[in-house]
Amino acid sequence: MTSSLAKAAGRTAAKRRSGGWEPFTVVSVIGVALFMLVCLIPFWVILSGSFTDEQTLAGKGYSLIPQPFSTAAYKLIFTGPTLVSAYVASIFITVVGTVLALSITSGLSWVIARRLPYVSRPLAIFAYIPMLFAGGLVPLYLLVTQYLKLQNSYLAVILPLLVAPFLVFIQVSAFRQLPEEILDSARVDGAGEMQIFFRIGLPLSKPILAVVGLFYAVHYWNEWFTALLFISDIHKYPLPLLLQNLISNVTFSQMLPTAAEQSTPVYQLRLALTVVTIGPILLAYPFAQRYFVKGITLGATKG
Amino acid sequence: MPATSPAGLSRRGFLAAGGGLSLAAMLGLSGCGDSSSPSSGKAADTLALLLPGDAPTGWEAILAKVNEKLKKDLGFAIAPQFVAWSNYQQQSLLKFTAGENFDTALQARWLNMIQLVASKSLVPVDDLISKYPNLSKTLDPQLLEQNKWSGKLYGIPQVNSAARFHHFTVRQDLADKLGAGELSTFDQLEKFWYDVKQKEKLTPIGISSNMPDLLVAFAPVGWLNQHDWENPHVSVQTFSGGSLPFYLAQDGKSTGSAKPIPFWEAPGVVDALRKVRKYYLDGIINKDALNVDSSTIKSQFESGRIATRWAMTDGLSSQSLTPLRKAVPTAQIANVVPLRGGKDAKPNQTFQADNFVVLNVKGRSNERAMQLEDWVSIKENHDLLSYGVEGTDWKPVGTDKFQQLSQYSFPGFALCWRQKLELKIKDITPTEEAWFDWAQKYDNFTLDPYASFVPDVTPVKRQDSQVNAAMTQYGNPLWIGAVDVDKGLDNLKKAVDKAGLAELQAEMEKQANTYLKGQ
Amino acid sequence: MSTRTPVRSSLWLGLLAVPAVAFFLVFSYAPMAGLVVAFKEFDISKGLFGSPWNGLDNFRYFFASGDAQRILVNTIVLNVLFLAATLAAGVTLAIMLNEIRGRFFKRAAQSTIFFPYFVSPVVIAIMLQVLLSGPSGSGGVVNDALAGFGLPTVSWYTEPGPWPWILTFVKIWQLGGYMSVIFLAAITSIPEDVYEAGQIDGASRAQMALRITLPLLKPTAAVLLVLGVGRIFYGDFGTIYAIVGDNGTLFPTTDVIDTYVFRSLRQIGDFGTTAAIGLFQSVVGFVLVSTAVLIQRRYSKETSLL
Repeated sequence: MTSSLAKAAGRTAAKRRSGGWEPFTVVSVIGVALFMLVCLIPFWVILSGSFTDEQTLAGKGYSLIPQPFSTAAYKLIFTGPTLVSAYVASIFITVVGTVLALSITSGLSWVIARRLPYVSRPLAIFAYIPMLFAGGLVPLYLLVTQYLKLQNSYLAVILPLLVAPFLVFIQVSAFRQLPEEILDSARVDGAGEMQIFFRIGLPLSKPILAVVGLFYAVHYWNEWFTALLFISDIHKYPLPLLLQNLISNVTFSQMLPTAAEQSTPVYQLRLALTVVTIGPILLAYPFAQRYFVKGITLGATKG
Repeated sequence: MPATSPAGLSRRGFLAAGGGLSLAAMLGLSGCGDSSSPSSGKAADTLALLLPGDAPTGWEAILAKVNEKLKKDLGFAIAPQFVAWSNYQQQSLLKFTAGENFDTALQARWLNMIQLVASKSLVPVDDLISKYPNLSKTLDPQLLEQNKWSGKLYGIPQVNSAARFHHFTVRQDLADKLGAGELSTFDQLEKFWYDVKQKEKLTPIGISSNMPDLLVAFAPVGWLNQHDWENPHVSVQTFSGGSLPFYLAQDGKSTGSAKPIPFWEAPGVVDALRKVRKYYLDGIINKDALNVDSSTIKSQFESGRIATRWAMTDGLSSQSLTPLRKAVPTAQIANVVPLRGGKDAKPNQTFQADNFVVLNVKGRSNERAMQLEDWVSIKENHDLLSYGVEGTDWKPVGTDKFQQLSQYSFPGFALCWRQKLELKIKDITPTEEAWFDWAQKYDNFTLDPYASFVPDVTPVKRQDSQVNAAMTQYGNPLWIGAVDVDKGLDNLKKAVDKAGLAELQAEMEKQANTYLKGQ
Repeated sequence: MSTRTPVRSSLWLGLLAVPAVAFFLVFSYAPMAGLVVAFKEFDISKGLFGSPWNGLDNFRYFFASGDAQRILVNTIVLNVLFLAATLAAGVTLAIMLNEIRGRFFKRAAQSTIFFPYFVSPVVIAIMLQVLLSGPSGSGGVVNDALAGFGLPTVSWYTEPGPWPWILTFVKIWQLGGYMSVIFLAAITSIPEDVYEAGQIDGASRAQMALRITLPLLKPTAAVLLVLGVGRIFYGDFGTIYAIVGDNGTLFPTTDVIDTYVFRSLRQIGDFGTTAAIGLFQSVVGFVLVSTAVLIQRRYSKETSLL
């Protein structure tokens, strides 16, 4: 099987670089650039706004240059006593959660994708139903707090979100597109089904693993609701819950006497929170991206 | 304090909560999830409290001091859990539903207090309070009397004034500049708004998306309802927040009949609607009122872009002055209550507290919870919890004010607001202080004939939820003047008729008359 | 179709699915017992056993409302728009990205277009206000531009007509990048030799994208479509509610089941009724998906979900 892999790689690497710019390429570049712009401008406005003085922000609206410059919102965020532990908690939840979720999802998806008689189809239905029917909050709450006793444990955040049916089906569809010949030739070589999964299925599916892993990571990184339900110790709050509380508190802070010098920068804070949440994900993104960009780079030279 | 609803409930949580209650059933337990039964001795050494918001800055240090003293005085400690405002309603209800054994929580009509009372989840406290001298000393008998629901008090009312009366905070510097001087009537206010619009190019009034139903048909007065400011004797009731307001007859007590009428039949209401429509068209109120949240309006006021803002008699609106002066160095603000007759107007008032500290029936120790409420009624303890350590977190200014020195701020209304112990903020403006003092005295108000009437929505739940939906769709645009009054009112009437107005009205009449009989 | 895999080794392979099955049993299926409350008059103190049954009463509430028809139509129209638009945007972006050769540009593009996915609905709502209404509700970037071209300005927040399109635009912005990532992964796994034939035929890049890449994305698109169909009765509550809120003037085109139920019940918090609506949405979704799967199997067994 290694030989077939090498062959495939050799084929894709074939140096076939089309010479000129075809019209479609030009259209594509322009199209992508336009969409990028539509995404970049708001991002810039958010970034710049998060550094703009609250008074100006509320008064004149947004601008492309942070004028007058202010770091009030970031100060408010970063002076919280529990910010470091919140980052640690979020990283732990994201890493452990993503690894577990990706492993379990891949296992299930492979079994469904293989179209095994009496197994695959019932499993697919079994995995699909939870996407539509949910028992609700109270049963889940009782389950986690009273039967599993997971209060204040990160498992309480990780476990309820462990398998997302949506991603199962994305992965199933990708697994099914693996070339059968490669699997068959492995069987001929005497590989067992498990071996095929670990040695061929998974390595060949790096792009989809990267995508699904990325989606799980994003999911866990942003998760605050289960944390709200099950984590009451403020030293264990993950980042999104901490930020969620911060913004909610600021919105209601008008009802409390506050130190007169300080007025909470509501607008600015919302924008800064967006930046603080996205930051780490955007930093981590290129690592996942490597797998599918690489594939595409090969693909793009086709033609 | 917001009688208005807490913003941003999570739909996901809300719907999910609807999933009900039943893993317990599957696993063979009672639906109430009784498994967290009080364990003896050790457990009651720490009381669990539910507080709204986020832990204040410097909370750990203060909590340690509080607990140290509590241990010494009473032999137990507290372990409060903070739940963010936007999730508080859902989370506290969930914890009650799951049968958890926390001891106290913040509850209110605008949260889930009515349901919790109906399901007997709360400990009645009327007979308990008298056993605790410090507590009963700081609670006015009138306050306790008016906050009884069907003769029982289901929580310790948390107030920092006798009455709650919404009014206006205006930019006094602009009023002076425009030659209006001190504003005291609605006509003067209106002229001020039009002058501001023409000469100053700012938005005269800022309205946020949780305010529409306060503007016209609201008790004790509709915020922009001139008729009410001049005759502040109306009683308005709804079955649930945001539902259709009914006006009840002021002479109900003598006639024995409340004769509820839908708001549009009440005197002055349609005129007020037309006026608001005019304000909307003339640009006196912000056109995005239905989509802008209260913190945005606050921010805009503090950056000098809005000339008038909603205020409550809570002694806190002067807090905007310092940030405002950063944007407009010469800014002055004043609080205006345009009652005809000013401080002698004696407007109606229900004296209903906006917040209660309630005792959980399943709490570990209701007795200790009461001891705690008694303990925080002692000035020294109250100040420690509310303001922090004297000298580092705050210092007294005069006899009745304080200056905040650190960032510490505690949601006192969820545990220890005592009208007689609360200090005013140092920067309170003279006008706000005057009106705040006015609101401290029960004698300055007329007791609303329906003061402690709390309508029970259960018999008309379905109709009410549909009327509620209709009110959001057709009522809100009407309240802020975004639609033509005649057309809008027509649409609204059609929608609520279909949704069950008649049933609501009949049920309101029945319940209000029963209430009157019991008076 | 699976003659290749003997039954014994297929059971062996089934072990891979055990952790996931355990997860679903504990965290999804066990709590589903909670759905019975849809048929009950829920009472906090009485709990499940004590709460009396009330048959289909909880379901009647929604259909008795005069708005039911309009809300159902809105829900379906908006969801069809969102689904079609985000799928189309995802495919288009993926194919276009595939055309780009500059390594740096491509990476930058991918990171950028994924970013909107992280922007919270509240921030989206604020940005829309800047675009459409400006501070204190007059003006806004779009109106300034319209005025610049001598066109009449629009009071966006009181005009329900354009809102399905505005919301669709928001969805494309939000999910276009996200969707494109899924399709990119699919494009990556298209074997090289498929293109070689096209190459020899002298097809242009546009033709190859259209005739080769696009058809090969069909299975992925089909899966996304079927999954989307199942959720067609749900609104996108987070985004719609953050943007429209309680602005009644926009309800004629933007009110969906989720927002309507949330609004009308938030004060009363009737668990039974909310559960009933949820169950109704689930059942309809289930029926729709089953139909979609059957149709799909009939036309193309290869891409079938099951």
